Formats: sequence, structure tokens, C-alpha cells
Amino acid sequence: MSHLNMDSVARATPRHLSRRIRGLSDRAIAWVFVAPTIFLLLAVNIFPLIWTIRLSFTNYAANRPNAEVQWIGLRNYERILSDPDTWATMQATAHFLFWTIVFQVMIGFALAWLINQKFRGNDLWTTIIVLPMMLSPAVVGNFWTLLYQPQLGLFNSIVGFFSGADPTSFSMIGDVHLAPWSIVIVDTWMWTPFVMLICLAGLRSIPDSIYEAAECDRASRWRQFWTITVPMVLPFLMLAVLFRGIENFKMFDLVVQLTGGGPGNITTLTSIELKREAFEKWRTGYSSAYAVILFVTVFGLASIYVKALNRVKDR
Amino acid sequence: MAEVVLRNLAKSFGTTQAVRDVSFTVPDGAFVVLLGPTGAGKTTLLRLIAGLERPDCGEIMIAGRPVASDTPAERNVAMVFQQYSLYPHMSVRDNLAFPLRSPMLRTPEPEIALKVRAVAETLKIAHKLDNKATALSGGEMQRVSIGRALVRAPSIYLMDEPLSSLDAKLRTDLRVELKRIQTSLGATFLYVTHDQIEAMTMATHVGVLDEGRLVQFGTPREIYETPASLYVAGRLGLPRMNMLPAALFAGAPPGAQTIGLRPENIVQGTGRPARVVRIEHLGDQTRLHLVFDGHEIVTLTDPHTGLEPGDLVPIEPMNPLYFDADGARIARGDY
Repeated sequence: MSHLNMDSVARATPRHLSRRIRGLSDRAIAWVFVAPTIFLLLAVNIFPLIWTIRLSFTNYAANRPNAEVQWIGLRNYERILSDPDTWATMQATAHFLFWTIVFQVMIGFALAWLINQKFRGNDLWTTIIVLPMMLSPAVVGNFWTLLYQPQLGLFNSIVGFFSGADPTSFSMIGDVHLAPWSIVIVDTWMWTPFVMLICLAGLRSIPDSIYEAAECDRASRWRQFWTITVPMVLPFLMLAVLFRGIENFKMFDLVVQLTGGGPGNITTLTSIELKREAFEKWRTGYSSAYAVILFVTVFGLASIYVKALNRVKDR
Repeated sequence: MAEVVLRNLAKSFGTTQAVRDVSFTVPDGAFVVLLGPTGAGKTTLLRLIAGLERPDCGEIMIAGRPVASDTPAERNVAMVFQQYSLYPHMSVRDNLAFPLRSPMLRTPEPEIALKVRAVAETLKIAHKLDNKATALSGGEMQRVSIGRALVRAPSIYLMDEPLSSLDAKLRTDLRVELKRIQTSLGATFLYVTHDQIEAMTMATHVGVLDEGRLVQFGTPREIYETPASLYVAGRLGLPRMNMLPAALFAGAPPGAQTIGLRPENIVQGTGRPARVVRIEHLGDQTRLHLVFDGHEIVTLTDPHTGLEPGDLVPIEPMNPLYFDADGARIARGDY
């Protein structure tokens, strides 16, 4: 009797009814939900990737669609890798990537550590500190060009005030030695709060009781920092480095707005170079090969890094 | 090891008074157990002694020295936390070695290795030394936590329900082991538990706390046989003391409101009849649930008793305790 009752209850549920009407299995319903996403992924990610790889072996130019397309094998790759400009661009990107990550990790962690100390108003300080990352990169680029103005820029005035140098005697954006640092400073200003937030999440995940146990175990503050805080925040810190690394490898808008890749080519990062090749010089095949090289580089480095990250997490 | 003296200690958290005017002495080499329900202030007392909390007023002396301004490290106490508080990113070996690697101790690495191995073997976790601390069962974590305290020789061991998450057999084994370690080292222990067997078998002294106040401090036998109040009487004894209206039996002293009868203090075979409601055979003891004049009574009986539910059995109190209307015990000399 109870079986009959249960059956009748089950039959009365709308879900059961709708499935019966459609006659679909659970598996089929799962496919109905997943298919649009798979289709979208194939259309906007996988197909362009395969198409780019194909184009990278040709001399195709998008502004001459009717011109004959020739299969030139690996010639694009050979030209890119033997071009000194490519390596100069890579060097500029590496400089930008390395120093932004170093500064953001150091300052971000220090800020997170300070904010994590229990003091009045730390929520307000957190909000103030994260403001830069809420701004648009184009806006940030624009107003930092003003701050870097030798005549009226606040940055030059402050540096001049503390160093005693004449503020008009140097131009952060116009000087070949200072321009690479100018983009590092702006990116650090904008994205350090992001690293700080991730570090703060890591710091707040450490229960107070662990520090209490360490105090009872006669560990000094210094020892607690190096044997508890740092190892326990490290996975979070590595995650922040991964995010910032990937983001900065494809940095474009902020730098274009600030320096436009100049002076000369000194702040031309790979993404800027790629855009020039693809949409100013219209060397589509060549730029496709460039894009593939960048993709393989980022993907390879990120894969190695993620493996290291997992090892640290599983320690 | 050292003597620990608490004088007029008080601590509040906001409007909650966690510890009120507590004074007692943990003699050098003593095993003091603190009893009390959740919220009685047991853990706060341990934290005050450890230096993890600052008292609002009162004094703490360790080895004759006031330690109010000392850090936990300077107090040289070892604490076992109820929630283990292991270092999750370290192996069991590194967790156990952590206190020994303190720059204040400067223990050589070979000595650390020997001590860690010895403690791990005592606590039966030697095979887990290279495991990550989080890859252990609850019981194993608690043993690592105990080991981290036992691996060094502090002024006092503070233990907050250290055996609570172990299975019955391991709890018994470790109870014996802890007592053996305490006796052999002559160590001073302050130990919080809810388990009366732990209290009775391990303690040299028992302190009973009620809402932050120390209501009685004495040997386990004193606490059991001459509790200061109904509250204290209810903290020790299993089955619990039967608390009945004093007028139920003849011979109550003037002012007596409640008669307290331990299960073993009820004589069967003489007196007025009680009806058997239920018999529980627990192996080591047999409990007899009775109804006497409408009041439920639990007593013990012969394991091979022939009594059945519904039977009538005459009972009579023996060495009863009497309590007044405020729950305070009326001293024997007064009746």
C-alpha cells in the first residue's frame, strides 16, 4: 500500500510530470543544460584558437581578403624568434612583470598584515586602500599622465620635495630609463590592493588558537611570523602572483594610455606589439604566430606554476 | 615543576563575568582537576594562567613569582587546547618538535629527535610521525596536541579536556599513561574535564566551579563524600546522587530541605517499599530504577539480582547528606 502511495505522490510532482512529457533521460537533460555553454566555448574560444594556429602558417593579411594566401610553414615563427625587436619587447614585458609582482607582493602582504592587526577603523582603511583597483585602467592611465607631468604633476613635485631635485628636471614618461619604472609604479598603485585582499583572506584563515598555541610553545613573534604566518599564507600569495602574472603578461590598456609603448619602443609590451602587427601593419599571419608563441609561453609557465602551487598547498 | 597560586582572580568579557574572585593553590607536583559545566569558567582560568588572557584583578604566582606582566613564553607553561590547535602545515614530527626548537630552550636536534620519538611512542603515534598534522583522525590530533605539551618540562601542564575526543579504550590507556607520567616526573597538572572517572582517578585535588566562582576545592574523596552544596554533589558520582525532599525519610535535621543519597547509600531489604521500574545491566554494575512515594530513585544492586520490573523492594537511607533551602550542606555535627 505504501508503495502505491509513494508512486502516486511521485507522479504528482511537477518535475516528474515534465520529464515524462518530454520523455528525456537525466543524461539528456544534462546535455540540454550544458550544450549552449559548450557551443559558446567552441565558437568563441576553441575555433578562434585553431583558426589562429592555422593562420600562423600563412602570409594572410586581413586587410587584403582577396589576396592569395600562401602556406609558408614555420617562416613566421622563424622571423619572430630571430627578430631582435621581439626580444626587446619580451625583455620589457619581463621587466614589467617581474617588478610589478615583486612590489605588489611585498607591499600587498605588508598592507594585509597591517590591516589584519585589530585596530579601530581598519574596515575604513581597507575600503580606501582598495579604491584604485575599482577604477578603469583608461582613467588611471590618463590621470597618471597628469601626475607625471614635469611642470605640474604631483608625482614629480613629491619626488622633488623629498629628493631635493628639480621636479621639471626629469620626465617619468619621456625618459628611456624612467619610463619602464613609470608603468611599474602605476600598475603597482592600481593592483597592490588586489594582492592585499588575497593575502588578507589568507591571514584571516589562520585561527587565533594556532598563534596562542605557538605562544605557549614559546615561539617569539618573529618565529611565529616565519613558521606559521608565512607558510600558511603562501598558497594565497602564490595564487595572487598567478593572477597578477597572467594579467600583466597581457597588459595593454594602462600602458597604451600612459606611454603608448614609448619613448621609442622602451615600454612596448608584447600585447602592444601584437596589436600593432595585427591591426596597424595588418600582418595577420605573422601576428597569429606571435599570438601562438605568447599563448604557449603563458600556458606553459602557468602550468608549471600551478603544479608548484598545488605542491605548496599539499605540503 | 612549580607551585601555582591564584589569588582573588577575576575576569569578565563584556557583561559576562567569566571568573569571579577565584583563589586556590596548585601545589608543586599536584594533579588538580577543575570540574564544572560549560560556561563555568574552567577554560578561562587555564587561559589566565597561561597568559593568553589578562585578569581584571587578582594575582597569579608561578614558582613564587608574580607573572601578571609575563608573556606565555616567559611563564613556561604547556597547554593542551580542546580544539587541538595543531600547526596544520607541519608534519606530526615538526608539531611535536616545535616547542623544543624554541630559541629559549636551544635543544640540540639529536636530542629533539629522541624526545619526539619517545613521546610519539608513549602516545602511540610513532607510525604517524611523517604524516601531515591535518591527515589524522580526531583522536590522533588530540594525541599530537598532548604530545606537544609532554615533549618538554614546563612549570605546569594546563590541559583543557585533552581526552574528550578519544575512544573509550584509548581514553582509559591515556588516562593511566598521563597519571603515570605525572607521577614519575613529579609534574604539576591543572586539568579540565567533564569526566568524573578522570577526576576521581587522576586528581590529587578537585576544584568545582559554578558560574566563575570556585565553590569547593579539596581531595576527590572530600568532594565526593562531603560536598559543600547540592551543586557540587551533582558534579561527581555516576549514577548521580538522588536528591529528594528531606521529609521523605525520618531523621532529617531541622532546616533540611533536601536529602542527598548516593546510589550506594541506599540499603535494600529494610525500610519502606519502593517499586522497581527498570533494571539496567551494565556489566560492571547493575542499576535499579525505583519509584518511591512518587519520586524516582536510582541505586545499585547485585549483578545477578532476581528483581523484575513491578517488584517491590524495601529501602532505607544510609549515611545520607542533608541540604538546606539554599542548597548548602548541613554539616554532620549539626544533626
